[in-house]
Amino acid sequence: MSIIEAKGIYKIYQETKVPVNALNGVDLKIEKGEFTAIVGPSGSGKTTLLNILGGLDLPTKGDILIENTNLKALSSRQLIDFRLHNIGFVFQAYNLIPVLTALENTEFIMELQKVSKKDRMKKALELLKAVGIADKANHKPGQLSGGQQQRVAVARALASQPRFIIADEPTANLDSRSTNELLEIMAEMNRKYHSTFIFATHDQRVMDKAHRIVTIDDGKIIGDETFERR
Amino acid sequence: MKTLIKIAWRNLWRNRRRTILTASAVVLALLLALIMRSMQFGSYEQMIRAGVNQTGDLQVHDTGYWANQSIDRAFFYRKNLGEDLHNIKEIKTVLPGLQTFSLASYKKQTKGVLISGIDAAVYNKQNHLSNKIIRGKYLNPNNNDVLLGDKLAEFLKMNVGDTLVLLGQGYRGITAYGIYRVAGIFHLPSIQMNRQLVYMNLKTTQAFVYPYQPGLLTSLSVFIKNQSMLPTVKKKIENRLGNNYEVISWKTMLSDILQTIKVDNISGQIMLLILYIIAAFGIFSTILMMTMEKRKQYAIMVSIGMERRKLIWVSIFETFIISVIGIIIGLVLASPVIYYLHFHPIPITGDMAKMYLEFNIEPVLPFSIKAHVFLSQTIIVLVLSLLSALYPIIYLSRFNILNAFRH
Repeated sequence: MSIIEAKGIYKIYQETKVPVNALNGVDLKIEKGEFTAIVGPSGSGKTTLLNILGGLDLPTKGDILIENTNLKALSSRQLIDFRLHNIGFVFQAYNLIPVLTALENTEFIMELQKVSKKDRMKKALELLKAVGIADKANHKPGQLSGGQQQRVAVARALASQPRFIIADEPTANLDSRSTNELLEIMAEMNRKYHSTFIFATHDQRVMDKAHRIVTIDDGKIIGDETFERR
Repeated sequence: MKTLIKIAWRNLWRNRRRTILTASAVVLALLLALIMRSMQFGSYEQMIRAGVNQTGDLQVHDTGYWANQSIDRAFFYRKNLGEDLHNIKEIKTVLPGLQTFSLASYKKQTKGVLISGIDAAVYNKQNHLSNKIIRGKYLNPNNNDVLLGDKLAEFLKMNVGDTLVLLGQGYRGITAYGIYRVAGIFHLPSIQMNRQLVYMNLKTTQAFVYPYQPGLLTSLSVFIKNQSMLPTVKKKIENRLGNNYEVISWKTMLSDILQTIKVDNISGQIMLLILYIIAAFGIFSTILMMTMEKRKQYAIMVSIGMERRKLIWVSIFETFIISVIGIIIGLVLASPVIYYLHFHPIPITGDMAKMYLEFNIEPVLPFSIKAHVFLSQTIIVLVLSLLSALYPIIYLSRFNILNAFRH
């Protein structure tokens, strides 16, 4: 059974006089444990699709079902709660909370989930260890390199035990070494915990790791290929 | 909640300069408001104190005396009347008084004067009149000597040791007359009083006004220990003395002063309002900057699952912490200044000083250290600062995550 099902998704932005059709009827199913890359040129609608899959935005038309929950039927408050318990995010610009340390950033999402202090400390440390940054646990984002910050972002995304993780261009700001290390970590998480990852990317190295590549252009899916694990 | 406070605290110190700027706006608003209000209330207290020193907190008269202040509405002192008053524990002092008008004459000079018959020892304890004697001596309870205001003595061309002739209306239509030696000449802050007042021993005045029966009084001035007990003490006296006497509080006796204060207070409040509006804009603009600067951080938090309600709390905590810091610094800076100026009031000179003296008020600007001055201004500044948090509250409850990410 699919954990995500996007049915006939349209997204039209009306912010200017000329409406912009960012998505034009996207149908997509994501299965549990997939390591999927959504690729396409700039302005093709990757980020819009990812935002809609992640519940950060709602489609103008069509439905998003996450294990039978229709995101369009949720109120703004329910949607926030839904994201908290079901979706993890890794952003291009890391987007850690600047005033919290790496440990606190990882712990914070569990605190929102009302996990006990003891359990969340233990889990946050485990995750930071898993992403290889336990020694920087008490550093604030400003004291970490881009690669290190993105590792914390991955740890944070995994901390809430989400059904899937949305990663929008996670390697765009990283050097080759950091990119390879980060991808290896995410692949390891995928193998070990069966975590579902959905990437929007231009990066060939990400595509090389993906099990499935969905190509999008002009707001439409024009290709969908599945690969054996590489 | 602890984490929300932690985030708010760290958010504040992430941009130290901006936080200091916002807190400074609060400090300045509170500092100016406190100094302004303290000076204003200090003046009011001084005006009231000067008046109450003359009238007492309460006065007991024969019923109807206050409306028609005639010597024929004087009353005779009974021993149990004094006991009734002295038994009320909130009362500090009771000053018996007999006031009447008369003509005063020396050689070729004559003038209408106000005679105030006082219990010299008790009155001096309350009003320190002996300190105001500039020539001669204070009243001696064992003789009939009198004290004259310096301007009156100047007008009558009298000096210590000269004999004053008094002629006026006594109690129940008799003619009151007598000759009295001048024991001393006083100078009070009030020019009006220096021009027309004659102090006499109470017994001498009673003999002057009505020599046939001792104990005649026009008032018993009651000084109480604590102003807050005024209504209670008034009620107690009324209950004990019954309908034959009226009990008038200083608020009635000094109603003209209270009216002046009321008008002056309105102008002070308008000035304060202008100050608050300027300060509120200062605080609001920095809170606005803070909110705009953190749009992305807010977006991250909501996108990962933090309720907007909690974000609003973070924002309220930030404003509250800044306000409290500003208020504490404001109080720390203002308090020593105000305390110093309370004990070392600013002297007033020139025409303004003359005006003060006309109203029997010492020409100084004292500052009030009453708790209500500090408390009211602190609360107003806190509320104003917290009102500035309304903008982030409205923003946080409505903002679009994706738009915020773009900034």
